[in-house]
Amino acid sequence: MRKIRILLADDHKLIRGGLRLLVEQQADLAVVGEANDGRETVSLAKSLKPDVVVMDIGMPNLNGIEAALQITQANPEISVVMLSMHSDESYVLRALKAGAKGYLLKDSAESDLIKAVHSVAEGKSFFSPAVSKVLLDDYVRKLKRSGAEDAYDLLTPREREILQLVAEGKSNKDIANLLNLSVYTVETHRSNVMEKLNLHGIPELILFAVRRGIIS
Amino acid sequence: MRSSTPPNAAASPTSSSDSQSSEHSKKIRRLLLIAFGWLLALLIGAGVDALFAVRRLDRASQEVSRRFTARTHALGIIVVSVRIYDDQIERFLLQDQLRESGPEPSDVALKIATVHAALENFKRELDPDERGLLETMQLQLQEEEDACATVLAWRAETRQQRAFQFIGQQLIPWRTHMFELTAQISSLDERKLALENLAVAERFQSLESRLVWLVSLALIAGVLMSLICGWYILRLERQARLRYEALSRSRLELEGLSARLVEAQEEERRAISRELHDEVGQSLGALLVEVGQLSKLVPPEDRATQAQIDHIKSVAESAVKSIRDIALLLRPPMLDDLGLVPALEWQAREISRRSDMEVEVHSENVSEGLGDETKVTIYRLVQEALNNAATHASAKNAKVSIAQNSDKITVEITDDGHGFDPERQRGMGILGMEERVRRLGGTFTIESASGKGASVGAKLPLHKADSP
Repeated sequence: MRKIRILLADDHKLIRGGLRLLVEQQADLAVVGEANDGRETVSLAKSLKPDVVVMDIGMPNLNGIEAALQITQANPEISVVMLSMHSDESYVLRALKAGAKGYLLKDSAESDLIKAVHSVAEGKSFFSPAVSKVLLDDYVRKLKRSGAEDAYDLLTPREREILQLVAEGKSNKDIANLLNLSVYTVETHRSNVMEKLNLHGIPELILFAVRRGIIS
Repeated sequence: MRSSTPPNAAASPTSSSDSQSSEHSKKIRRLLLIAFGWLLALLIGAGVDALFAVRRLDRASQEVSRRFTARTHALGIIVVSVRIYDDQIERFLLQDQLRESGPEPSDVALKIATVHAALENFKRELDPDERGLLETMQLQLQEEEDACATVLAWRAETRQQRAFQFIGQQLIPWRTHMFELTAQISSLDERKLALENLAVAERFQSLESRLVWLVSLALIAGVLMSLICGWYILRLERQARLRYEALSRSRLELEGLSARLVEAQEEERRAISRELHDEVGQSLGALLVEVGQLSKLVPPEDRATQAQIDHIKSVAESAVKSIRDIALLLRPPMLDDLGLVPALEWQAREISRRSDMEVEVHSENVSEGLGDETKVTIYRLVQEALNNAATHASAKNAKVSIAQNSDKITVEITDDGHGFDPERQRGMGILGMEERVRRLGGTFTIESASGKGASVGAKLPLHKADSP
């Protein structure tokens, strides 16, 4: 079986060491390189072509978000897992907009890293459970304060289904095949979902899905 | 801190020399006042003196000319009366030769009395040195009178025989002598007049020289005093300029100091934050990873060790959490990682999570490329205002609005808390906000009233570094 090739990027050697230790205990995972800052990560990703980049958000020279953007734009097949201390929606949204597939809190890196790497390698998204919780709490609190109803309740079962599939990273064509619908119908459902939830773009949709626990 | 010593050191000698110089200038003012008084008195005195002297001189010269006129007049009367009386005697003596009737002898005696009266009259205007001359004249007149008394008694024959002899030998010499004497008196008078005129002229000259002296004295004093005044004014001006310069310098230093203070505070916070986050935080993070590894190595049956490891883990986790909180408060990495608006949104949510206040953020047109100082200033402003609203004003809702246009960026934070009086309650927080905004050349406003919430606003000019 082919091993999943991983590039580790963190400006702290201690953290990199700990992550490497975790990864190397797994038979199907291999660390192919380590980077010390954002620029090095971008150039190593270009030359090593790893399957997954596990990268800290706060790095010198070029921060993780900018590096993720450059990597995913140059090599869309590389999956990026962001490592962060922040569970706030600003960070998650920025990471998603930069093309990251996974968002991992450093506190829970030890227990979730392996799962995250496997998920993104399969093309799925992964978010630390704590992230979903914080996002949901913020959302619920805001709804309570403003007295608005949860837009999710407005969705039809079919729309919810499509929301989940889009959030998982499936294309319109994949979804059409899976649900036995025409691509056009899928497109209509999708834009209805975006409108009802007042979302602009896939990153916000994924964020919403994570918040509601639709994906993890 | 470095420059705090020089202004203090400069301030103390200035204040002591201030009291000295004020004492000094009081003395100078008094002296000037006295000098001006003297100058004025001198000028008035000179004027009054000159006025009286001129009047006296005028009176003296009038007196001189009056006396001269009176004496000349009196002399004239003498001469005329002598002539008349001589003429009468001649006509009396020659009445036979001329074949006309001569004057009566009593008439002639009357004429002699007129001459006497004229001489007596002149005596009143007489000067002592002229007395001799007048007495000679009176004696001669007496002699003539006596001689004439005899002549007047002459009969026609005697008159015919002796008239020419008497006239030629007596009357003409007498008359000539009389006229000589009056001429002497007249010339004496004229000399006296000249002398008196000379005296008046001399007095006038002395008055003139005294006036010249006084005026030049006043002039010198005036010039001297204006020189002193000029010097005094220059000195005052220099003092005022020095004082103003010192004042503006110390104000500049103060401004620079507070600006550096803010800068130093920010730098310090950044350094501590980085240190905490990078060193302590990361070490603890690595420790957590290691502990996780360790827990996998311990067999699950060994419950005691497992519990111990879990405890270590939870302690490390809580340490990580508190260090992260402190680091975030000191220098939020969001500003660097995400930019201003997401960082403000993060902060708004953070406060919403921690308190009962819900915060909304509205942003318009805010560019990503704002300068670091501008970002930090706005961030701190919002942080301070929101913290005040949540902790001191018990606000339920707050709103942060931030908008950018071509040359400035405007921030406003409003809340619905119970408000305060911004004139009286200006804590360090508000002063700090004001200082940060002013340092960037912006304007800071704060509006609040009891029970009416609060509104904190700032307008910051955009520099080249801030443009998108």
